[in-house]
Amino acid sequence: MKVVTGVVGNDIHVVANRLIELSLDARGFEVFNLGVNTYLEEFFDAAVETGADILLISSLNGEAEGWAREVKLLKSKYKTLDEVVMVIGGNLVVGTADADTIVPKYKKYGFDLVFHQVDLNTGLDTLEAFIQDKKEEKAS
Amino acid sequence: MSLLQEEREIILSNEHVDNFDFAEVEEFVKNASKELFISHHFKTKNKMLVQPRGGFPTYKKQFALNEFFVNANVDVLPLTIDSNTRLNDYATAKKMLRLSEENEVDMLNGYPLVNHGYRTTRKMITHFNKPVSLRHGTPDARLLIETAIASGIFEIEGGPITYLLPYSKNFPLDKAFLYWKYVEKVCANYSLLNEPINRESFGPLTATLVPPAITIVIQLLEMLLSLEEGVKSFSVSFSQTGSMNQDIVAGAVIKKMAKFYAEQINCSDATINLVYHQWMGAFPTNKDFAEQLINMSTVIASMVGADKIITKTREEASGIPTKEANAATVANTQYTLGILNGLPNIVDPEEEEILTLEVKAIMEAVFNDPADTLWRKVFNSIKNGTIDVPFSPHIINHNEMITIRDAKKNIRIIKCGNVPIPKRCFEYEKAQCDLTKDTTSIVNDIIHDIGIMQ
Repeated sequence: MKVVTGVVGNDIHVVANRLIELSLDARGFEVFNLGVNTYLEEFFDAAVETGADILLISSLNGEAEGWAREVKLLKSKYKTLDEVVMVIGGNLVVGTADADTIVPKYKKYGFDLVFHQVDLNTGLDTLEAFIQDKKEEKAS
Repeated sequence: MSLLQEEREIILSNEHVDNFDFAEVEEFVKNASKELFISHHFKTKNKMLVQPRGGFPTYKKQFALNEFFVNANVDVLPLTIDSNTRLNDYATAKKMLRLSEENEVDMLNGYPLVNHGYRTTRKMITHFNKPVSLRHGTPDARLLIETAIASGIFEIEGGPITYLLPYSKNFPLDKAFLYWKYVEKVCANYSLLNEPINRESFGPLTATLVPPAITIVIQLLEMLLSLEEGVKSFSVSFSQTGSMNQDIVAGAVIKKMAKFYAEQINCSDATINLVYHQWMGAFPTNKDFAEQLINMSTVIASMVGADKIITKTREEASGIPTKEANAATVANTQYTLGILNGLPNIVDPEEEEILTLEVKAIMEAVFNDPADTLWRKVFNSIKNGTIDVPFSPHIINHNEMITIRDAKKNIRIIKCGNVPIPKRCFEYEKAQCDLTKDTTSIVNDIIHDIGIMQ
C-alpha cells in the first residue's frame, strides 16, 4: 500500500518524520515522504501523483489545526481522493487539551484516524487494523 | 575596483544600512583592542575559554545580559541573532524590534544586528572590551557579517553546510556555498589588518545521533573552504555524543586530521582551535538534573582538551533562559574548570584507528569527485549521498544512513547509504550493536537513544 506522509505547515521538526518513514517502511508500506514544512496542496498533489491509499499528516508544533480546517474544502477540489484513508497524528494542539476534545474535532475536519500524543507503534497498529477492517467490509 | 569590492558595495547599499563607511570601518579594525579578538585569547591564554549563548532584541536588554556575563567571569560574549535576520527579512525584524522596545515584551528570539547597525552595536562591544562570537544560522550572511565585523565582532560562526543542512528544507545549497565564499574572503581581508578574525564551524549539526565520522568530515571541509580563501584562524567543533570515550576519540582524531588536511593545502600557518558544545540534544526538565548534565559536559570537554566550551543552562528544556540562569552556568563552568586538576590521559588506539579510516575514506571520495573546485566537489558529495547527515530536514540530504547507540552509548553506523565507510570499519561498528532485533524495536531504540539524557 502506498502512503504519502510529511509534516504540515511551517513546522521543521524532522525527527519523528524520519522515524515514521522507517516504521512504515518496516511494515511493508511504500512510503512517499514529503518531509517537513509541507503545505496541504502538496500533500494532495502527491496523493494524486502517486495514487496513494493513505495520507498520513503529522505535526509537532501544534499548528496543524489551522491547516486541518481547510482539508475538506481543498480535498473536494480533487476528483480521485475520496477513497484515501486520512490520518493525522503528533501533537495536535498549541498549549494543552486532552484527546477527548481533540479527536472529534479533527474527525469533523475529515480525518478517519486521529492520534494526539499517541506512541508511534500504537498508532501504526491502529492504522493497520483500520485498513484490515475496511478490506473485510468491502469483501463482504 | 575588485569584483569582491563591487559585490560588497551592492550588499551594503541595502535600505536597512545607514551609510556604511568602508574607510572608517577599516581604520576601526586596524586599531581595535587586541582584547576583542578571540584569536588573540586562543594564542595567549592557557585555560579553556567559556562562552554562553544569548541574544535579546533590544540594546538595553542585550547590554544587561552582557553585564551579567561579565560579572560571572565570562571569557567570550555571545551575540545570538534573531530568526528574521537569519532569513534576511530585515523589514520584519525592524517592526518586531520596535514592538519589543515599545512594549517591553521580547518579540524576537535574538538581537537584530542589521537593524541596530554597527555604529550603535560597536558602542556596546567596545564598552565591555571582551571578544564577541556571532551566533546565527544564516545561509546568506553577507550583510550580517559585514555589520558584525564593523561592530567589533571578530568571531563568526557558521558555514555553508553546517548552517544549512540542520536548519533549512529547501534553501539552495550551491547558493549557500557562494554566499559563504564572500564571508570567508571578507574575514580573510580584515585579518590582514590586526589579529585574525576567527571563523568557527557548527559541529553539532542536527544534534541527533550524528556519527563522529560525518561530523569530522564536515568540519574538515568547512575548514578547508575557509583556509583556501585566506582565513588564518579557524575553530572546528563538535557536541557531546553521549559516550565519554567517543568524545575523547573524536577530539583526538579531529585535531590530528585538521592539522593533516591544513598542511595538504599549504595552510599550516593557520591556527586551528577545538570547540566543544555541552549536550545539544533534548534536556531533562528537572533543572537540578540539567545542572548535573552541564557539569558532566564540562568535565568531558576538559578530557577532550577543548580550547573553548559553549554552555547550556538549567532552563534549556523550558525555552530561552533568563540572564540570571545563563550567567549562573558561566560561573559554575568556570568553577568546575578551576578545580579539575590532574586529568588522566586516555587514548583508545583501536577506536581512533577506525574513526580515522572512516574520515579519510569519505574525504578521499569527496576529493575524487570530478568537479573543478572544492565547493563543487562538496556540493556533489552531499547531493549524491557521499556525505549524509542523520535527521537533516533539507531536501538535498540523502537520509539513507541509520545510526543507533551501542551498549556503551557510542553512536554506531548500522546502515551506510552511499557514505563510503570502509568494509572493515562498518563490520566493527555493526559488531558493537545488537542487530538481531526487528525494525520496530530498532525504531524504539532510536527514540530512546535520542532522549538518552532526559
